[in-house]
Amino acid sequence: MRSVSIDERQARFEELAPGLIEPLRRYLARRTDPVTADDVLADTMLVCWRRLDDVPDEALPWAYGVARNCLANVERGGRRQQRLAAKIAVVDPPVESTPGPGERDGALAEALDALRTEDAELLRLWAWEQLAPGEIATVLGITANAASIRVHRAREKLREQLRKVEAPAGHEESREGRNR
Amino acid sequence: MTQHDDDQLDARLRAADPASSLPAADPAWVARLLEDTMSNDLLTESRENGTHNRSPLTWLVAAAAAVIIAGVGIFAVVNGQDAGEPAPPPQAADPTVTELTGPDQGALSARCMVPNADLLSDQPVAFDGTVASISDGLVTLDVTHWYAGDPTDLVTVEAPSAQIQKLLAAVQFKDGGRYLVAANESGELLVCGFSAPYTQGLASLYDQAFPS
Repeated sequence: MRSVSIDERQARFEELAPGLIEPLRRYLARRTDPVTADDVLADTMLVCWRRLDDVPDEALPWAYGVARNCLANVERGGRRQQRLAAKIAVVDPPVESTPGPGERDGALAEALDALRTEDAELLRLWAWEQLAPGEIATVLGITANAASIRVHRAREKLREQLRKVEAPAGHEESREGRNR
Repeated sequence: MTQHDDDQLDARLRAADPASSLPAADPAWVARLLEDTMSNDLLTESRENGTHNRSPLTWLVAAAAAVIIAGVGIFAVVNGQDAGEPAPPPQAADPTVTELTGPDQGALSARCMVPNADLLSDQPVAFDGTVASISDGLVTLDVTHWYAGDPTDLVTVEAPSAQIQKLLAAVQFKDGGRYLVAANESGELLVCGFSAPYTQGLASLYDQAFPS
């Protein structure tokens, strides 16, 4: 570890961190509940502070990667509680949770759910965080080339799923009989 | 796949962004988060290395504390068993009334053990009675049979108004109902099924605990 004075360190962190917080908040808001999001954001910032010397120039994709790991840790711990909560919810179902803003795109949500977790996450990073394949690669710890190919394939799969989801809803199926 | 299709899919995905309506963070909150983060030590203490730096004195103090706690516990147990004459329950000026209180808050929310004759037999007060009245904060019982304790005609159970509902629920006291009731040396009612509406089963437990 490079030895820098604590003041220099603080100055660097204060310059870096404000630019990370807002995107990370959004990243977490998209993937977990508000309370967990705040906790994981604090965890993520702490990792950034402690590993300040490892933070690359392109800090944001790296920080997304940290947030992703922190969230995964929290969720591993919470999974047992969730299973319990699910059991209780069956007995005493809660009021249908309020959907997001505006009109919820149910078909899209269903199609995303039907994808493999990794594929759905690639698409979210691409569409919601608006990352380029190279940046997605940093978040997921894969090569840029692999990220590029996987994003392309994930889009294909999503389109496929959307067709499946929307077909029974009375849409005239113009591609009927076409070999896929 | 055409560029148009891709753009459409992009637009549709973006429209579904759950964070699109998330307001920007309060700057004061962000400032506090940064401050809190930087106030953290750069060294991390984990389960693996967390105890290495503790001084021998820390361990000594911890060991001494453990010994004292164990000693107090053993003293309490031994004393409880050796007390030949159970301490009489708090008596009112009127000799025909035994005053009891509801269990403390902790006992009402604590976990219960299965009622058993062993524990019951340690209690200095136990009786079979009928609820004469339930007034604000006070349950009065007419006693028909004393298993243990100095016999009096009446027993009152007092509970702070905030707890009376919980007490009523714990013992299911109802006006006119017949109950088997036990209390400890502090005059606190035993709940958790020890004090409960009269049943043959519970009565035989009381008989077993207090053979006449």
